[in-house]
Amino acid sequence: MDFMRSIFIAATGLRAQSGRMRVIAENIANANSTAANSATDPYRRRVPSFATSFDRDLQATVVSMGRIRTDGSDFTVRNEPGHPAADGQGNVKYPNVNTLIETVDMREAQRSYEANLNVITATRRMIARTIEILRA
Amino acid sequence: MSVTELPLFSMLKTRMRWLETRQRLLAENVANAETPGFRGRDLKAPDFTRQLQAATSVQLVATSPGHLAGTTQTDPNFAADRSQPFEVTPRGNSVSLEEEMMRIAQNQTDHQTATALYSRSLGLIKSALGKK
Repeated sequence: MDFMRSIFIAATGLRAQSGRMRVIAENIANANSTAANSATDPYRRRVPSFATSFDRDLQATVVSMGRIRTDGSDFTVRNEPGHPAADGQGNVKYPNVNTLIETVDMREAQRSYEANLNVITATRRMIARTIEILRA
Repeated sequence: MSVTELPLFSMLKTRMRWLETRQRLLAENVANAETPGFRGRDLKAPDFTRQLQAATSVQLVATSPGHLAGTTQTDPNFAADRSQPFEVTPRGNSVSLEEEMMRIAQNQTDHQTATALYSRSLGLIKSALGKK
């Protein structure tokens, strides 16, 4: 039945977006995670990616979380001589996480999640309508 | 001839199958709304005159037990079409969520119309049978 397939396809979208939310939550939670000492690097921002694949069972192109890569941009450096992770000049490396960017990403994930939920609701209503023919 | 083979019912059935397939394509679009390089698709509107011909065409009658049942009633295969994108993002994605939501709502209404017509037609047959 095609309707069930529609629901399954939308469910893959839900799964992909919730995986993305997990990565965003990780980034925001670690926005201030510095390293223990000056020799090691602090937390590096992680970037989720999406991949399309053809599901033979569903006969449709579904979406899934691709590889989670790390953001290679420079760390933010702040001068805090008293910090345990400060180097000789008193500079501390902070993670390359920009909370504003993460918040925007989060809104986008939320919007997409809601759109997928909408598809499921609409499809369910259509199934219910079809079943109602029996009652006529 | 069973009830489901009546032209009206078979037409409505085709319509519902079309809407069902379209819903699947729209679900695909929404699921891949953020995938780089994904191009949205939509179902081509069925050719009404051809559908009507198929539904009301003359069929061969098996007059002898040796006759094979004809398969003139071909299953309509619907063609997927690349929908005209409103915009294509730099990542190569052409899905616009607003547009998809609108299409889904429209699909839902159309489906509701088809099912309502179906149950109405069933009601017609029931009154012809003389049952309340």
